[in-house]
Amino acid sequence: MANLIKNIEINPLKTSSSLGAAVFFLGLKNAVVLMHGAVGCASFDKVTLTKHFRENIPIVTTALNESGAILDGKDFLISGIKNVYEKMKPDFIGIASSGLTETNGEDIAGVIKDFKGGLDTPFADLIYASTPDYKGGFEDGYTAAMLSLLTETLNKNGKSIKKSNKTVKSINVFCPSSFTPQDFLELREALDYFSFKPLMIPDLGLSLGGYLDERGYLQTTADGLDAKDLPDIYTSQFNLIIGLSLKDAVKNIEGLTGLKTYYFPNICGLKNSDKFFNLLSRTTGKEIPEKYKRQRSRLMDAYLDAHFYFSGKEIALALGVDLLDSFSSVYSEIGANLKLGITTKVIGDIRHRFLDLREGDLDMLDTRGNVDMVVSNSNAKFYAENLGIPLLRAGFPIIDEIGHNYKHYILYGGAINLAVESANLLNKE
Amino acid sequence: MSLAAKEEYFDEPSCEHNVTAKEKKACKTATPGSSTGGCALDGAYIVLSPIKDALNIVHAPINCLGNSYNQRTSKAVNGEDYYMYGFTTAMNENDLIFGSEDKLRRGIIYANNRFKPKGIFVYNTCVPALTGEDIEGVSKELAVKFKIPVVPVLSQGFSGNKNLGNKIAGDALFTHIIGKKEPVIDLLGDFNINLIGEYNIKGELFLIKKALKSIGINVLSTITGDSTIEEIMYSHKAELNVVICSKALVYLARKMKEKFGIPYIEESFFGITSTNKAVTDIVNSIGNMELAKKAGDYIKIITKKTEEKVYEYKKFLTGKKVLLYTGGVKSWSLISALNDLGLRVIATGIKKSTDEDKLRIIKEFDKNGNIIMLDNGNPVNLIKIAKENNADIILAGGRNQYTAIKSLIPFLDVNQERLEPYVSYEGMECMARLIYSEIKNPVFKLLKESI
Repeated sequence: MANLIKNIEINPLKTSSSLGAAVFFLGLKNAVVLMHGAVGCASFDKVTLTKHFRENIPIVTTALNESGAILDGKDFLISGIKNVYEKMKPDFIGIASSGLTETNGEDIAGVIKDFKGGLDTPFADLIYASTPDYKGGFEDGYTAAMLSLLTETLNKNGKSIKKSNKTVKSINVFCPSSFTPQDFLELREALDYFSFKPLMIPDLGLSLGGYLDERGYLQTTADGLDAKDLPDIYTSQFNLIIGLSLKDAVKNIEGLTGLKTYYFPNICGLKNSDKFFNLLSRTTGKEIPEKYKRQRSRLMDAYLDAHFYFSGKEIALALGVDLLDSFSSVYSEIGANLKLGITTKVIGDIRHRFLDLREGDLDMLDTRGNVDMVVSNSNAKFYAENLGIPLLRAGFPIIDEIGHNYKHYILYGGAINLAVESANLLNKE
Repeated sequence: MSLAAKEEYFDEPSCEHNVTAKEKKACKTATPGSSTGGCALDGAYIVLSPIKDALNIVHAPINCLGNSYNQRTSKAVNGEDYYMYGFTTAMNENDLIFGSEDKLRRGIIYANNRFKPKGIFVYNTCVPALTGEDIEGVSKELAVKFKIPVVPVLSQGFSGNKNLGNKIAGDALFTHIIGKKEPVIDLLGDFNINLIGEYNIKGELFLIKKALKSIGINVLSTITGDSTIEEIMYSHKAELNVVICSKALVYLARKMKEKFGIPYIEESFFGITSTNKAVTDIVNSIGNMELAKKAGDYIKIITKKTEEKVYEYKKFLTGKKVLLYTGGVKSWSLISALNDLGLRVIATGIKKSTDEDKLRIIKEFDKNGNIIMLDNGNPVNLIKIAKENNADIILAGGRNQYTAIKSLIPFLDVNQERLEPYVSYEGMECMARLIYSEIKNPVFKLLKESI
């Protein structure tokens, strides 16, 4: 790996696991994220997330100082939890650790457990994800928070949860962190067409999709996965898990929920969307709605219109593993040459789609680039401008353009968006 | 290496926070469970990263740099563009177990060979500070090897806040860069000054330089907007340091006064009145009669010209109410600019302000009546005050943007993420136009009726 030789990341693509956990927690309704670390751990994340989502981002810090860092951060954590609860009255407090609080060997889980044990009044759901910043990346933190929520909910509700006699049963939907809020909303709509009641874990479509609340400014997340729906997770009809980054968590989720599980690495492009709609049709016995049949036909037409512009052009993707998989599915269907793939964790399944696929930083665009278009986040703008090639903005963070909250790349409609946007950028002189 | 920040940082004699022992603590602590500003690393990086031919290498796990880089809006022209790069060793678990000094060393060597910078800043952060990596040793060794300054910046976040980080960066410059080189003679003008704490946000430095150049003042070095390592090395040759809107870097100015005998003044370039005052103060400090006359004439002409340009805006803005919430010095320096436009500031934040700042606020407010000093920057409180007092607009930092607009209150960013330059005479026009357009925008009325 190139990075092992150079020992340094230059304009990194990677972000940390604590940030991934924070994003997961932001998909819960009336939630606050508490970062257990120095003030910067929360502040850096809050700044980027605010710019990316263009929403209020309720992230606070335990504000460890020297004595907390060196001796013990327990008091900081406990008073942080108490202060958040008293000031903001959230339903959820999502706690993420940091490089700092994991290095000094604190028993954070133990502290939280003791704190919960000592409570005799109703309190917020405390969900803790262990996210040492020196281990794994964004997707790992997101997954850790997801599994933690499932474990906590199971522990809290115990045996009572198997007795649901609701007539309309929900389904559990686990989406990857790469989904835009619009992706979440599009998926919800597709499931609605089949009369499913989706529980999105988390639901970033409802929480960060761009929403003007009549209550005005809110201190916690305005919407998202509701605490009162949590027990229903275990009585759902089945789990639907999407995302290559969630592949390793499939068994865990299946085990924790005890439900039948369907897994899709991605639901982008014609073939993958077909598989997805066929599953919905098969499990419900319903025919695929007219809307999606038409969308499918329009996608095929869009592929025909767009494919000319990819001829002889080479593309570099610098994306997290989920978008790398999703976008390369669409690009492969349309015959694009994927010269270079840069990602944070290479997963073998998709290697064959790229001439060169490696773990790395954005600087590889400079040293290994020479392509006609880059698909990456806002930090790649500098390289695209220097190379004089267009940048299709995707992933995290996107801070120099607005509107990605309203864009989607999943299912037939999403593939149309990606094919058309890419063709237009490639066609620009 | 000491983990604790130098006590001197908290003893700044020219900082009003240090009058009593109790208040001194305010610089250090934050409440757990609150949403606070950045850490020492953040503050140090802000000060040093605009130097365009230096590399900034953050020795840390991925979060310290990876989660939030490349977001400052400092501008630079000509020369290298290294301020556009973020470097990190991205420490992993192995580095923690087996140590990461060698990785750091190799990383710095790679970056140096590739970019051939004129200087390298190596930032220490929480994790390597805890595991006890010898960043100072590695830096020293490589400085000898490369024959350029390789500067350890001991900015581990748990040491303190952004303000502390500013001081740590100032100290790094003072210890390792400033005074290390003499300027070639044709770089010197008749009157040479340094600007300290000016980061060229949206090209603001260019506007300040333009005004000063018009009367014959040469900005020798800027710390650090659009600057180079060499320029900062010979900054000790200036006859005056002008500290711009930055309490934290008064530390550096004081150090330079002690060592090189350079006097310093604190100025703001927000608004016509402040800019005129700044130019006059600079000229008076230099103490040259001919220069003073030239400045007087210039001020007369440019003031008239600027007032004409903002006349239509001012007509509309006069009497409109502003809630200002920003840090420290800007709590009063912006009031002056807003007063220039006829705006009435109904409240201002004082959370980060010193007693001296507060006195200046009161002085500025004498011109237009009562004032609410906001010690509590809690967004809920901000919106409450704005609504109770029928504020026409909130001027604050980016983190409060959504607080304001989600409550359907017009908003303008006055911190880092501002969209246009606000300083000096041209900046006054930009600010006037932006506030005017924002208050006038029909979208707020439409949405209030529709929600």
